[in-house]
Amino acid sequence: MKQKPRVAVFDFADCEGCELQIANLEEEIIDLLEIVDVVSFREVMKEHSDQYDIALVEGSIMRPIDEKRLQGIRKNAKILVALGACATIGGVNKIRNQWMPDEVMKQVYGDAKVKGNELFNVGKAKALNEVVPVDYYIHGCPIDRDEFKQVITALALGKKPEIPRYPVCVECKKNENICQFELGNFCLGPITRAGCKAICPTHNMPCDGCRGLIKKAETECVKEVLERYHLTYEDIRRRCTMYNYGREECTYDK
Amino acid sequence: MTSKKDFSIHVEHLTRVEGHGNIILDVKNGAIQQVQWQVSEAPRFFEAMLRGQHYHELRPITSRICGICSIGHSLASLKATEDALGLQITPQTGMLRRLAINAENMQSHILHIGYLAAPDLFGVGSVFPLIGGKHTDAVLKIVWLHRLANEMSDLICGRTIHPIRLIVGGFSALPTPTQLTNLRKRLEEGQTVTQQVADIIHGVADRLPTFTRETEYIALSTGDEYAFYDGNITSTDTGVVSDPLRYPTITNEYVVPQSTAKYTKHHRDSYMVGALARFNNNSSQLHPKAKHLAQLFHLNAINYNPFMNTIAQLVEYMHNIEDSIHLIDALLDGSLKEEKPVKAKPKAGRGVGLVEVPRGLLIHDYTLNAQGYCTKANCVIPTNQNHANIQKDMEKLVPEILDQSPQDIELTLEMLVRAYDPCISCSTHYLTVTFI
Amino acid sequence: MNTLRAITKKELHCFVDALIADGTYDVVGVKAKGKRFVYGPLDHAEDLRLDHDVTILPPKKYFLPPLESMMQYDLKKPFEVQATFDNKQRIIIGMHPYDIIALQQTDVVYLDEQQDDFYKKRRDNTIIIGSDIDAVSERSFAGSMNTHVADTGFDVLISNIGTQYLLTIGSEKGKQLVETYAKTKEATAADLKKLQQKRNTLLEKYKQKVNITTKDWPGVLVANYQHAIWEEHADTCLECSSCTMVCPTCFCYDVRDQVSLNLKDGQRVRTWDGCLLRDFTRVGSGEVFREEVKERYRHRFYRKGNYLPARYGFVACVGCGRCGIACLPDIADPCNLINELASFGREEDTERFFIKQKTTVEETGIIHVPRSATVTRVEHFNDLDTFFEIQLDDGKPLGHKPGQFVEISLFGIGEAPFGVSSPPSDTPRFEIMVRTVGNVTSKLAQLKSGDKVGVRGPLGNGFDTTSFEGKNLIFTSGGTGMVPMRSLINFVLDPKHRKKFKNITILYGAKQPKEITFMKDVDHWKTVCDTQCEVTVDRCDEKECWNGCIGLVTTLFPKIRMDMYDSKNTIAIVIGPPIMYKFVIQCLKTMGIPDENIYVSLERRMKCGVGKCGHCQINGIYTCKEGPVFNYNQIKQLPEAFE
Repeated sequence: MKQKPRVAVFDFADCEGCELQIANLEEEIIDLLEIVDVVSFREVMKEHSDQYDIALVEGSIMRPIDEKRLQGIRKNAKILVALGACATIGGVNKIRNQWMPDEVMKQVYGDAKVKGNELFNVGKAKALNEVVPVDYYIHGCPIDRDEFKQVITALALGKKPEIPRYPVCVECKKNENICQFELGNFCLGPITRAGCKAICPTHNMPCDGCRGLIKKAETECVKEVLERYHLTYEDIRRRCTMYNYGREECTYDK
Repeated sequence: MTSKKDFSIHVEHLTRVEGHGNIILDVKNGAIQQVQWQVSEAPRFFEAMLRGQHYHELRPITSRICGICSIGHSLASLKATEDALGLQITPQTGMLRRLAINAENMQSHILHIGYLAAPDLFGVGSVFPLIGGKHTDAVLKIVWLHRLANEMSDLICGRTIHPIRLIVGGFSALPTPTQLTNLRKRLEEGQTVTQQVADIIHGVADRLPTFTRETEYIALSTGDEYAFYDGNITSTDTGVVSDPLRYPTITNEYVVPQSTAKYTKHHRDSYMVGALARFNNNSSQLHPKAKHLAQLFHLNAINYNPFMNTIAQLVEYMHNIEDSIHLIDALLDGSLKEEKPVKAKPKAGRGVGLVEVPRGLLIHDYTLNAQGYCTKANCVIPTNQNHANIQKDMEKLVPEILDQSPQDIELTLEMLVRAYDPCISCSTHYLTVTFI
Repeated sequence: MNTLRAITKKELHCFVDALIADGTYDVVGVKAKGKRFVYGPLDHAEDLRLDHDVTILPPKKYFLPPLESMMQYDLKKPFEVQATFDNKQRIIIGMHPYDIIALQQTDVVYLDEQQDDFYKKRRDNTIIIGSDIDAVSERSFAGSMNTHVADTGFDVLISNIGTQYLLTIGSEKGKQLVETYAKTKEATAADLKKLQQKRNTLLEKYKQKVNITTKDWPGVLVANYQHAIWEEHADTCLECSSCTMVCPTCFCYDVRDQVSLNLKDGQRVRTWDGCLLRDFTRVGSGEVFREEVKERYRHRFYRKGNYLPARYGFVACVGCGRCGIACLPDIADPCNLINELASFGREEDTERFFIKQKTTVEETGIIHVPRSATVTRVEHFNDLDTFFEIQLDDGKPLGHKPGQFVEISLFGIGEAPFGVSSPPSDTPRFEIMVRTVGNVTSKLAQLKSGDKVGVRGPLGNGFDTTSFEGKNLIFTSGGTGMVPMRSLINFVLDPKHRKKFKNITILYGAKQPKEITFMKDVDHWKTVCDTQCEVTVDRCDEKECWNGCIGLVTTLFPKIRMDMYDSKNTIAIVIGPPIMYKFVIQCLKTMGIPDENIYVSLERRMKCGVGKCGHCQINGIYTCKEGPVFNYNQIKQLPEAFE
């Protein structure tokens, strides 16, 4: 067997839940360590190396110092994988992009003397691909453990991970859930990328769109559904704010 | 060792903690120039993000403050929301929520004990080298306990990280009696495994520094139980504050330049929250097996050694199992009902939710307008409340160990911060604002 | 067989409880889920709901599960691949007549001459206890489809006749089951009358009605293929494929390899796929054959109402109404659509989008499980193309005809179709050429001599070379179209066969000089007497050395020595990228070659290779089954063939 790929895990602004999902592989972490060498993973290990093949990067980019750090990671990594919604689409961090960073800063820190302190130099929240090129995406808030395994095994086998390009409805139907619309809820499943096994509707909650939209909210079909269910464009804009603020998605990535 | 030494320690992005923090120590001519705990995590402005959100959306958004304690944030959020709406939940919901918080406490504690703290006790850099050697069995037991906690969260909450089923007024879906019965069996087994893990940790517990510093310990407490889900803010110095709205008189938040997280202080320069604070306030209410574990480690209230926080977590893990078994028995006796969440009518109001999460007291405070949209929010995070205490501990600890090698000093300081099990992402969730 | 027994409600419960208690069977039945119904495991008879209108998913989930393991393997020893069969004995209670009929339709597809063994096993292991319909789903139009009652297809059928239930025994298995587990009485004439009455009044309960009979569906669809309605509706389509997911007669699937995290074991799984999803027709090179939503939306209705009727003789819709419920913009309901279309006219030639062709079925064994084979020779033609000689480990010859293809498996990576590039042979060796485009091809390109692969095939229809005898032959290939073409060329140029054919011309176009594949063969063909071989490239970079023609393959046609050709006695074979056909065929027509003398080989997403998974469909035909080799005259009327 070839040398194991060297993997490093990094995090930026986020809840670190996606890294925790890796720890939540439980006994399978041992299997994971058989196929990759984890050379950096600050949350669980002290050792660190800049020699790695695959960087798994979690979190959104908020500050110039974070951009610099991410660019460094990009330089070192052969493959950069965005891990979780904060990294793939900006996630909940983008909610605040509704307001200018200065405004949010002022509200938060008030009169505290933070000017010139780079820790506090905050810009708009960005997904990783707004700063550096990203090779692969593991979507979700949090990521799905099975999908994580699937991507890691694909990379270890040298194959391109296949991430669904169809909507959550496909998986939701397979789970035989009652449609959230039928229950009177407003679900983003029809325009959100699948891969989560429709976990929210399966637990009787509408989809919030954490894996990113695969259709624009302005398309004819979305308008039709909104109309049919007596919803407005304002309703969908509000629904999309949680994970997809300011995002213009294409129907399908090629 | 000469006392006239020069050295500096700069631990950037301390490992095996949640989030980004730095330790700075400068010693010149044997004199401490600077000792500082820095929080460098990017600020995340959660309260600002809650502005204008509907009350149904506050829970899913605040859950994302922290992956490790997302159930705790969810529950604090729900309690605050329901308090603002004047909503009464059913006793069944109360019991299921207690199971949820037990599950998360177990998950978070065993992660800290086994994956983050234990490597220091075994003299390794991470849990990975412990696998495959003579410690394999110990690691597998820890993994087993971690899995148990996660399976329990999955069952009650739909998912362990960012729970799905926890919603305003109750649950979107419920476990079946069969599932609860199966969980109960696993919890029974878990008591034995916890005891075995405790024995293993006991074998290396002498590596925990014997440092002590008197400080104030703050936790929820109630006459009914060892408080997690309900209770009043209680201090080992000043006693009970019964009005939740008066929490700012306890927390007194302030900004320091070396930290993107705010600091807090109450009766002294600093106070501590978390497992040790809960233990120091409420140890008499622990279940028997948990009490027995505390005895094994000679942990008695009030214990002033912050390094013992890890041991208090282990004690709580056992307590959470025992408590969960009681809760399941009560749920099964009362024949679990298919309850729909209690429906709420939007109304203007303010609500505060207090919950004990793995790292200590968590406070969510929301003001809603008549249409049910949030106009003002404040969240006080356990780790924020500990930052000042970490700083004060360092200031006392460093002179006591200055004769050691810089490497040993560095390790001891790292262990100190880890003992608090800080959740830095949470603590930089950031802070409040009055919205118009 | 149909004998009738009467049973009280209490005894019916005892019957079901006895089946559950016995433990031999996995007893599933219709249960409530909120305000809807689902099939699920029964713990008690009282959970069973025979008053259901329709379940969210049809019982197809028990025969073609949403995710099904087909085979398992050890990545170190992939040749000990084991098919994974579901050996569970199961009883399904409560299946409505339309679902029973849907299952019978699926039987026709999955138990044909290329039988699906996984399906077969489940089918054999399942006892069906059907139920007459009490409550009619609001969206159901089963009454119009004559699927509201079923005479066959069940082992037992339960009918609620008010005071008690009747059990219709439909099979020997059903008879034994009832005799062993149920306390019944002889049904009386009065009981029978009540049953008839119940069925007669059932029809009145249907609010949804199709205005034409199923016999007329194909004609209505043929007449309206280009109607604006497809685009109008497709504009509001979410492309979520919910309609196909909930359909009892949809059976298309995708195949994937899943590997355990330690990379030790893997399994090949199949999972429901839907033709409304864009990737459904996507091939390794990235090409999507039904790019527009309109085309995909239309395809579903044609499949149900035209393509499958032409192939099997039945409309593949049973009127359950599930798609109508599931579709958020409400454009999926065939009842509404057919009624709307019917007003626009009907045509007589209902089989215009289908060709009747006998399929060559030579393979035995489990159709989805590959045979083990060894790579015996690898040659890298250029940075994209790799040539392989592969030897079947069982020592038997592949037994292919030129034009047929094989599915090559790399366990843990996947499976992909490749045209065989060597002529038929008595040895167990055959050749393929792989252009690196996707996961399987990139991984294949890294193989070395001695490495193992899996092989299924030969698959599909090849060239009938005997029909070419005594004819002039013009071979036109573009790009990787040369791969299967080489098999045919080398067959006819074989000295043993050469005499059987008259003049031969080989025209070959590649994008650029370095993409010319089989250069050695090409050089050889140029030297063979009685054979004209012309090669061109679309472009040539400055760095490359090329002294041949530059231009598209059509620019080679004027070079054909027309004096030697009697166009009526000339056969033309064309294989190349989709874009090429239109232009080359135009050249051939200009030469006066009749359409029936033109043969093509088409590329589509051939996944299962046995006419099941649905990905390679061109209107009513399966490329993997009727093709990939087609007579142009037969296929030219298929709108999707050349776009």
